[in-house]
Amino acid sequence: MKTNYLGEFEELVLLTVAIVHDSAHGLTVKAEIEKQAGRNPLLSSVHKSLIRLEDKGYLKSYMGEATAERGGRQKRLYELTVDGKKVLNASRELRNSMWSSAPKVVWEGGKI
Amino acid sequence: MRSSLGINPPKIPLRLLKWFCSPDLIEDVEGDISELFAQRSAKSKVKAKLLFTLDVLFLFRPGIIKNIQINKGSNQLDMISNYIKIAIRNALRYKGYTSINLLGLVVGITSSVLILLWVQDEVSIDKFHENGDQIYKVFRNMKQSNGLVSTTATNPKPLGDLLREEYSEINSVASVSWLMDMRFDWAEQSSEEAGRFASPEFLNMFSFPLLVGDKNTALDEINSVLISKTMAQKYFGDNWRDMALGEILKLDESIDVLVMGVFEDIGANSTLDFDWLIPAEGYYNANKWVEDWGNGSFHIYITIPEEAKVSIVGERMLSEIKDHTQGNPSAGDEESILQKFEDTYLYSNFVNGVISGGRIDYVRIMTVVAIFILLVACINFMNLTTARASRRSKEIGLRKVMGAGKKSLSTQFFFEAILMTTVAVALSVLAVTLLLPSFNVLVNKALSIDYTQFQTWIYIVGLTLTVGLLSGSYPAILLPTLNIIQSIKGGLKQPSFASYFRRGLVIFQFAISTLLILGTAVVYKQIDYVLNKDLGLDKENLVAITMEGDLASRLETYKTELLRLPEVKSVSAVSGNPISYGRSTSSANWEGKNPSDGYEVNVLISDEDFIKTAGMEMLVGRDFSAQLTDSTNFIINEVAAALMGFDDPLNKDLSFWGLNGKIVGVVKNFHMQNLYEPIAPLIITCYDPSGSPLLLVRIEDNTGAVLQSIEQITKELNPTFDFNYQFIDQAYAESYENEQTVSALANIFAVISILISCLGLFGLASYSAEQRSKEIGVRKVHGASVVQILLLLSKDYSKLILLSFILAIPVGYYVTQNWLNNFEFRTSLDPFVFLIAGVVTFGVGVLTVSLKSYHAATINPVSSLKEE
Repeated sequence: MKTNYLGEFEELVLLTVAIVHDSAHGLTVKAEIEKQAGRNPLLSSVHKSLIRLEDKGYLKSYMGEATAERGGRQKRLYELTVDGKKVLNASRELRNSMWSSAPKVVWEGGKI
Repeated sequence: MRSSLGINPPKIPLRLLKWFCSPDLIEDVEGDISELFAQRSAKSKVKAKLLFTLDVLFLFRPGIIKNIQINKGSNQLDMISNYIKIAIRNALRYKGYTSINLLGLVVGITSSVLILLWVQDEVSIDKFHENGDQIYKVFRNMKQSNGLVSTTATNPKPLGDLLREEYSEINSVASVSWLMDMRFDWAEQSSEEAGRFASPEFLNMFSFPLLVGDKNTALDEINSVLISKTMAQKYFGDNWRDMALGEILKLDESIDVLVMGVFEDIGANSTLDFDWLIPAEGYYNANKWVEDWGNGSFHIYITIPEEAKVSIVGERMLSEIKDHTQGNPSAGDEESILQKFEDTYLYSNFVNGVISGGRIDYVRIMTVVAIFILLVACINFMNLTTARASRRSKEIGLRKVMGAGKKSLSTQFFFEAILMTTVAVALSVLAVTLLLPSFNVLVNKALSIDYTQFQTWIYIVGLTLTVGLLSGSYPAILLPTLNIIQSIKGGLKQPSFASYFRRGLVIFQFAISTLLILGTAVVYKQIDYVLNKDLGLDKENLVAITMEGDLASRLETYKTELLRLPEVKSVSAVSGNPISYGRSTSSANWEGKNPSDGYEVNVLISDEDFIKTAGMEMLVGRDFSAQLTDSTNFIINEVAAALMGFDDPLNKDLSFWGLNGKIVGVVKNFHMQNLYEPIAPLIITCYDPSGSPLLLVRIEDNTGAVLQSIEQITKELNPTFDFNYQFIDQAYAESYENEQTVSALANIFAVISILISCLGLFGLASYSAEQRSKEIGVRKVHGASVVQILLLLSKDYSKLILLSFILAIPVGYYVTQNWLNNFEFRTSLDPFVFLIAGVVTFGVGVLTVSLKSYHAATINPVSSLKEE
C-alpha cells in the first residue's frame, strides 16, 4: 500500500472528479460538491486540493477550451489516473472491511 | 456574446491574483474565478464583486502563491561562500603575513577605541542636565588700563539680584559659591566636607536628583543643609533614608543646620561637585561684603528658555556692573558676558576676555590622533594586500577567464577586507576590555563599555564596516584591473602607479608617525619646562598647612612652637597659595597714577617672614622686618613696579583698602598663576596676617618625621580639627595633571603609531626581498657582500622615510608652535626636537627594513637559484 493517505476532503474531491468526468475543473467540482455533500467549499480549497492530488499522481490535467464567461481563459480539466482509481478503491475497501469487522450488535442495538 | 459586455471582474483583486499566483496555475484559476463571478453577477453585481475579492484573498495560500525567486538564476550566495572559503585558506596559508596584518589592525583599532572612549567621556561632561541647553554662566571681564583683560566667574551678588528682578527673558537665576571645606559634627561623627552655598533656584535649574527631601523647598530655610548620599551614609549609617531628614548637624562648631534632604552622589561627569549644599543666604548674612557691587563673590547661572533672547540679554547686561559701580572707589572697568554652561568645561580659556579653547584642544588633538592611527592601520592593510597580490595573480587571472567581472572581483576583495576586519574588531573588543582598567588609571577616569546597549553594537558594526571598506578600497580598485594573460603567466607586473601609490602611502604613514613623535617630544619638553621652571620661589620642601578654626588668631604661638623643631627653618602666614593666587583689588593708588586709570592688582597678605620662607629674592630695597613697623609698608613685584611706572619705586606712596604706606622693596617676579598666564602685578602687605588661611613652612628635608612633629604641634593647639597640608611642589605638579595625562597618552600612541607603521614596512620589505630573491642570489654568486645587499634592499625604503620626515617638518612645526603659543611661558622649539623625532622614526624604520633584508642577504644563493 502507498503510504499516501487521502484526507477526507481530498477523497471527496477525487470522487467528485470521477462523477463530473470529462468536464472536471475547479468550478464544476465545487458545484458538484455543493450538490452532493451540501457543503460550500471555498474555490481556493478546491484548487488547492486538485493541485495536491495532481502532485500526488492521482489526477492528471489538460487544458480545455476557453469561454467568454471565463474572460477568455482556458479551463484546466482533470481526470483520474490509474493510481487515483486505485487509491479510491483501496479506501473504499478499507472502509468496507472495517464496516464488516464491527459486530452487528453495534449497529442493531441490544445488550452485549 | 453577452459575456464580453457584462463580465468585468474587479480589476484590483485580479491584479493582485496575477501578482501572487503561480504562473502554472494562473490560467485556470483566473478562468474559474471569472466564471464564478459571471454566474454570481447575474444575481447581484455588488455581492459578486465582494465575493470575488474574498475568493482572491482566500487563494493567497501556499501551493497557489508562486515560489519566491529572488535568487533565480544567480549564484551570489555561492560566490560569497566561495569568497569566505578562499579568504580563510589564503589567511591560513600565509600565516606570517596574516598575523602582521591582523596585529596592525588590532593595535590600531584598540588604540583608537580607547582614545575615542576618552574623547566621548570628555565631551559628555556636564551634558546630563535636563535644561542644560538653556543654562548660561555669567563671566566678568575686568579691563585693565594696560589693555589686558582678565576674566573671572566670580560676580557681585547684586548682579544676580538684578538679573532675577529686572530681566524678563531670564527664567531663573542661581548663585553658587566656590567649593568650600566645612566641618560637620553629629554625635560622635565629625569630619570636613567640601560643598557649596547655593541659592534656592539651584536644585530646579540643574538636574541633581534628591533621594530624600523636596527640591522645591529644600534650600528655602536659611539654616538647612543638603548632604550627599555618601555623606549621609557616613553620618547616619545604612539607615540614612529614615534617619537623615530633620537631624541637626553642627557646622564649624558654631551653627546648627537642619538636614533637609539627601542628593545622589555627584558623578564624575559633573564639573559642579559638592558633598553638601547650604542656602546662599547663610553666607550672605555672615559676609556683608558680598552686598557691594565692587566685590566678586558667587558664580551666577541663569536660564534663558528662548535661544533668540540670549544675545538680547547679553547685550543688555554687558555694562550692568559698570553702571552700578559709578562713583564707587573700588570700581573697575568691567563687562559681564555669558557662556553656555555646557561649554564651560571644554572651552575654559579666556584670552583678553574672549573664549579661546581649553580642554577642547586636547579633545581635538586626541580625536585626530585616533583617526590617524586608524588610518595608519588601514594603510598597512592596503599595502600588504596589494603587494601580495602577485601571490594571487593566478587566482585573479583564472577567475577572470571563468567570466568574473571587475565588479565581482572587487566584491571579493572588499569581502576579504571586511572578514579580516571583523576578526580584528573582535580581538580589539577583547583587548579594549582587558586594557580598560589600566587605561582608566592612566587617564584618571572611569570609562567603560556597556555591551548590553544596542548602540554599542551599532558602533562596533559601524567601525568594522568603516575600517573594512577603507582598507579594502584600494585592493578592490587595483587588483581587478590587472591584465589577464600576465596574471596567469605569473610574471605579474603591477602598473607603475600602483607601486608609486604604495610608496606614497608609506610616506604618509611615516609622516604621521613622525608628526606624533614630534608632538610628543614637544609636549614632553614643555611639561618638563613647566615643572622645572624657576617659579621665582623655592617650591621644594615647602609645606602649606591649612589653618583651621581660630588657629590663625594664635599665630605667634603656633609659629614659635613650630620653629622649635630643628628641621623647620622658617614659617609664614599667607592669604593663599602663592603659586595659585587670585585675590586682587582695583582700588590701588600710587604716586603719579592717572586717577581715571583702573588696574587690577593682586594683593597678598602675609607677615615679615614671607619672602624668606617662600625663598624669593629681592630685586631692590629690603624685606619686611619685625624690628621696623612695616604693617603699612609694601613690597611689590617687578611687574607692578613697571605698571606703576616708577624708575625708583622705593619710598613711593601706595594706598588701597584704606591702607596708606610706602613701598619698601621690589621682589623678583614669581609665578602666581599657571604658565598659561602672564605674571600679574602684585602688592605684598603684612598688615594683618592673623586672618590668613594658610601657613607656609620651610623645612629642611622632605621627611615624614618632620610632618609628624608638625602635625603633633598643630593637633595640640587645635585638637578638634583635621591636619590638612600639601607640598607646594606636588600641588603645582597636580595642577598640570591634564597636560601630563595628554602627554602620557600622546607618548603611548606615538609609539603605537610607529609600531604599526613598522609592521607594515616589515611586511613590505619581506615582500620585496622575496620578489628579488633571484636577483640577490645572482648578486651573491657574483661576489656581492652581505652589506652591499643590505644597502641595496634598505635604500628604497630609507628614501621613503627620509621623504616623510621632510614632509612632516613644516606641518609639525606649525602645529606644535600653535600649541605652545597657548602658554605665556614656553619652551623653545629647537631643531634638536625635530632631529630626535626624525632620528627615532628613521632609525626604527630602517632597522625594521634591515632586519628583513639581512635575513634575505644571508640566505644561501643555492636555495633561491636552484629552481628554474
